[in-house]
Amino acid sequence: MALPPNVSEEEFASALSEFAQAVGDEWVFSSDEDVALYRDSYSIYWGEPEERVASAAVAPANVEEVQQIVRVANRYGIPIYPISTGRNLTYGGAAPTLSGSVVVDLKRMNRVLEVDEDRHFALVEPGVSYFDLYNYIQERGLNVMLDVPDPGWGSPIGNSLDHGVGYTMAPYRDHFGSRCGVEFVTADGEIVRTGTGAMPGSDSWQDYRYGVGPMIDGLLAQSNFGIVTKMGFWLMPMPETFLTGTVTVPRYSDFDALVKEVSYLEDSFLTGMPSFGSPAAGGGFGEAPAQMAELMQDGWPSVERIEDFVSAQGRPAWSVELRFYGPEEVVCASWEAAKRRFSDRVSGASFEDGDFWRLPLPPDEVATNPSKPLLGIPALEIFASMARNPQTNDAPLEGHADLFAFLPRKAESVHEAARVMSETYSEFGAPPAHHPFSTPINFYSRAFIVAAFLPTWREPARNAQSRALYSRLVDRCAEHGWIVYRTSPAFQDQVVSKLSYNNNALLRFEERLKDGIDPKGIISPGRYGIWPASMRSGRA
Amino acid sequence: MRAVIVMAALAVLATAVFAQDAPSADNGKVVFDKWCTPCHGAVAPPDARFGGTGLPGTSALEVKYSGELPAVLEERTDLAPEFIETVVRGGLFGMPITRKTEVSESELEDIIAYLTRNNN
Repeated sequence: MALPPNVSEEEFASALSEFAQAVGDEWVFSSDEDVALYRDSYSIYWGEPEERVASAAVAPANVEEVQQIVRVANRYGIPIYPISTGRNLTYGGAAPTLSGSVVVDLKRMNRVLEVDEDRHFALVEPGVSYFDLYNYIQERGLNVMLDVPDPGWGSPIGNSLDHGVGYTMAPYRDHFGSRCGVEFVTADGEIVRTGTGAMPGSDSWQDYRYGVGPMIDGLLAQSNFGIVTKMGFWLMPMPETFLTGTVTVPRYSDFDALVKEVSYLEDSFLTGMPSFGSPAAGGGFGEAPAQMAELMQDGWPSVERIEDFVSAQGRPAWSVELRFYGPEEVVCASWEAAKRRFSDRVSGASFEDGDFWRLPLPPDEVATNPSKPLLGIPALEIFASMARNPQTNDAPLEGHADLFAFLPRKAESVHEAARVMSETYSEFGAPPAHHPFSTPINFYSRAFIVAAFLPTWREPARNAQSRALYSRLVDRCAEHGWIVYRTSPAFQDQVVSKLSYNNNALLRFEERLKDGIDPKGIISPGRYGIWPASMRSGRA
Repeated sequence: MRAVIVMAALAVLATAVFAQDAPSADNGKVVFDKWCTPCHGAVAPPDARFGGTGLPGTSALEVKYSGELPAVLEERTDLAPEFIETVVRGGLFGMPITRKTEVSESELEDIIAYLTRNNN
């Protein structure tokens, strides 16, 4: 049995016994077989000494049991690591940041506490998945739409606490941004509620999130200052219809005007998440067809050469799909307004009508709908791209390590990021995944994301290149001021080290908070680079 | 008379205990629908916008078996209980580990009962 750092076998056995008194024997997992279920399925260190592994797991059923667990952990100095559904794959899954931690598995806290279809909010516990919340809403016929990430098995709370994202309108697809009201347990076992939840008798916990005084919700995301046990979310009223339309522009140099106009529409709340593409290149971000490799064989091509390539293809250089939510009259008018504005600004812009659905979809049309995440319907279909398929038949992926870096919302930044990523892949002899027609992702409406998806395996020897390339990409992004916004424990210290303004003043401030709030450092030591004082000495 | 009542009560108790302990294919179908169908179901979008064609598990098995075996797990008649348990708990390729707080031991036994109900 693995042990927590600096805890004897006898002390650990006593602590496990006290955990069992709190939650019941059935919900303390300490055998090797059971603890193995808390490994990160996509670990980039799978089977190596650096893989982050738990010493045990304990699964409370309610907030009172969470309080008891925290108090036991504090008494024995045992690091604990809360997970919600444990499905934060590519960002650590169910495994702790610090090996030897006891995972606090909140999956049993799975109650949907309230969904209000008139005030458009939900209040849930951490073990509730997007599937659970969707089913709750469907079973009751409630008139609200979720915003979901690609994998529906995740937790709205866990996803938002790692700054997860979805696909609908900007205020909803920023999942932490759409929260309203948080309950959490501190390292000494107190229950705290933020916003108006701090006032006994208030009925506006999910209506008004600031309360009075400092807003401390942000301290709970990507951090280790408490264990979140309830959270409210604002939901979109179920739109009457959904409409898509695609704009294409002919020239490579038109991307600048395309970006500016899409930003106008997004910031005016006239479109949901736009999706950029490149008909000339035959794909979007992450795809580099053979002709892209040819285009780049002598280095990054000049603008003139790229324009010649576009002309030779006979297809538009760029496209963007716009997505409209609302009454039929409104979505049709928004699409018409968008077409007029693009026509006024880009010579040769053309337009194609896309999907139109009345919402909510009839139940018998849900399973076959090809665009579930756009309609707030949880699914797992995204995994078909990494599962065995005709392209990967001999070697389907076992996992992936995703890197998402934020760029300014400018055409030139997108092109520069594509060049830097492409050059970095080339350093490692990896096939190019970025090219002059690489497009940004708009999960967050006010910034662009450049992405890299690296394979992981359950064979230690195969992960070395992915680790080295990932780490190099973090460095290259930081050199250009592009922040990696979310990463697995394996890279959290490196990513956070890039926030070095004024001698890492931000991290030092967080450390002072940690020392005051959790002096023994028992909650998620090291999460996003925040280590307790006793473990900080080796940090640069 | 009293003996008859006691015997009847014991029979009811025994049935209840048996019903509690014996894996239930019916409940296995419920658990399968919740945890497995999103990847291993039979109904998929013809051309999903996200992820490609089909559901991840079913489409992967279509490629793997090329029609020699059913791609839909619920149509299989050759799945070994031990194999089901190994894959559910340990994952396989992109399919991750499933913890006991997600699918309990008894629920896993029910899934196995469901997927092996038509075994040859």
